[in-house]
Amino acid sequence: MLRKSSLFAVCLLLAGIFIAVNTQAQSYKRIVSLNGTITEIICALGFEKSLAGVDVTSTYPASVKQLSNVGHNRTISAEPVLALKPDLIISTAAFLSPGVIEQFKRVNVKTVILQQDYSINGTKQLITTVAATLGVPEKGVVLNKQLDQQQSALKIAKQGKKVLFIYARGAGTMMVAGTETPVDKIIALAGGTNAASSFKDFKPLTAEALVAANPDVILMFDSGLESMGGVDGLLKVQGVSQTTAGKQKKVVVMDGQLLTGFGPRVVAAIRELSQKINA
Amino acid sequence: MNKKIRSIGSTGLLSLALLAMVIIATGTGAMQVSPGQVVAILLKQVGISLPVTYDESMEGVLWSIRLPRVVLAVLVGAGLALAGAALQGLFRNPLADPSLIGVSSGASLTTVMMIVLQSAIPFLQFNGVLGFYALNIATFIGAALAVLFVFRISAYGRTTQMTTMLLAGIAVNALCNAITSMMTYLSSNEQLRSIAFWTMGSLGGASWQTVLAVLPFILIPAVMLPRMGQALNVFALGEREAMHSGVKVGRLKTQLVIYSTMAVAAGVAVAGIISFIGLVVPHIVRQFTGADHRLLIPCSAITGAILLTGADLLCRTVVAPAELPVGIVTAIIGAPFFIWLIIKEKRTTAI
Repeated sequence: MLRKSSLFAVCLLLAGIFIAVNTQAQSYKRIVSLNGTITEIICALGFEKSLAGVDVTSTYPASVKQLSNVGHNRTISAEPVLALKPDLIISTAAFLSPGVIEQFKRVNVKTVILQQDYSINGTKQLITTVAATLGVPEKGVVLNKQLDQQQSALKIAKQGKKVLFIYARGAGTMMVAGTETPVDKIIALAGGTNAASSFKDFKPLTAEALVAANPDVILMFDSGLESMGGVDGLLKVQGVSQTTAGKQKKVVVMDGQLLTGFGPRVVAAIRELSQKINA
Repeated sequence: MNKKIRSIGSTGLLSLALLAMVIIATGTGAMQVSPGQVVAILLKQVGISLPVTYDESMEGVLWSIRLPRVVLAVLVGAGLALAGAALQGLFRNPLADPSLIGVSSGASLTTVMMIVLQSAIPFLQFNGVLGFYALNIATFIGAALAVLFVFRISAYGRTTQMTTMLLAGIAVNALCNAITSMMTYLSSNEQLRSIAFWTMGSLGGASWQTVLAVLPFILIPAVMLPRMGQALNVFALGEREAMHSGVKVGRLKTQLVIYSTMAVAAGVAVAGIISFIGLVVPHIVRQFTGADHRLLIPCSAITGAILLTGADLLCRTVVAPAELPVGIVTAIIGAPFFIWLIIKEKRTTAI
């Protein structure tokens, strides 16, 4: 009896500590997010009102474009971010220069830098971490449950179409996505194969390599295709018209942040890409 | 006597202008801080408290981010212009600039190598403080080695031929640039962006540590180079004439190259490639001071500091809250100005 009651007391105590820890989690009022995917997660967790500023890659939901923009995450410098008087700066590890992170820490602003793995599990992990940082782990659980449901409803047939992703900013700069890129991962998830699998990262596009890879589908950001002057402009690029994709004018475009963000919309992105490849 | 007064007058005026520029640059930025608050925050650092209200974030930004940046711009700008003035005197050519003797290309080479190879070679992955400054150290070493190389190639007996040095500089630049291009070709997308931004120059990462690290490398040349003004004046008449009038020409050349390299290498190491300051500033100053190096060198240093602080202020505020690389600003302002100077000089004297 005594044992039972003491056990109960211990449980109560533990629960008390747990609640105390939970209320310990600060509620942030002025968050600056320096990554589009993190911004999406913050909004999906219902904290859009707490965002004080975002970077250029934060394009979804559209309302975040109204917020103060601190520039491109690679060229971000400390002062404009700190001028927004943030109580939390949050980003992924990929782009911020260590010097800038150092400066944030020097002025004692809580700075959280997360690792992102480009997979559905990586997205869930990211959601869990962001939710914990914001002190609402239960909202993270709910969001991840939704992802689980979407994932189990997703039927992707491996159709093995060769997809080549071209990153373009005008005809002058054209890069192809190799392995270990978010694009490579999402092509695989959508049931396609990356036509450029012989190298890592992005490489400049050469006409011969393009013809040799002979993709069935060319995948681009909508902004990228626009910068080329549409499909007609793309077909003028050396080698494009000799590929299967070029002959059939099979060019698929998607929003950049949706395609490569691996945020809460990741399953929707996979579905959309899969449908477009097979259309 | 008259000259003395004039020299004190012009350096004094320029110093006042620099002070004004520093005050403006310290008071302006993405975060709004009123002049009264700036004064209060700065005085608080030396223990005087004023009855002005400001919040903690203002103090943090002003004291540990903006002010070091302004001071660094002053130091780097002064260093680049000093070296430019000294080297133009050494080559007896108003078109000389520090990149002629390999400083920039050597610096670029080791920096790009570091950026590209660091992830592949475990030996290059330093931890802690060394890891943080590894890139800056690599940059400095590259700059110094390239100049040493140029100097060794052109050394002949106890002296160096200026024309040979120019040729050696061209050769070393070509070699460094070739290897840099090779490295750039091998780099990944991420690395490519890092390289691109480094070559555009930025004072964004400034901290008091970087200021302290750079200080001796700028201060020593700033003290020593103006003292060679008289010797450079004689040297301008020609090498032989200078030797006959008792100038130790070999030593003069060696010292000039060492001090110039010190100043430029330190600048490049903390701020990347910043173009035109070393080339244009001595030109501007010469319009007012004439060719007397005793006046030209110190005035160039102060003018360089003013210009770079101003350029950095522009790049911090024009596209705020984003930021332009400062090298772009100096080039955009510097290049047309330089063209105008050339046209103007063409009319008066042939260069």
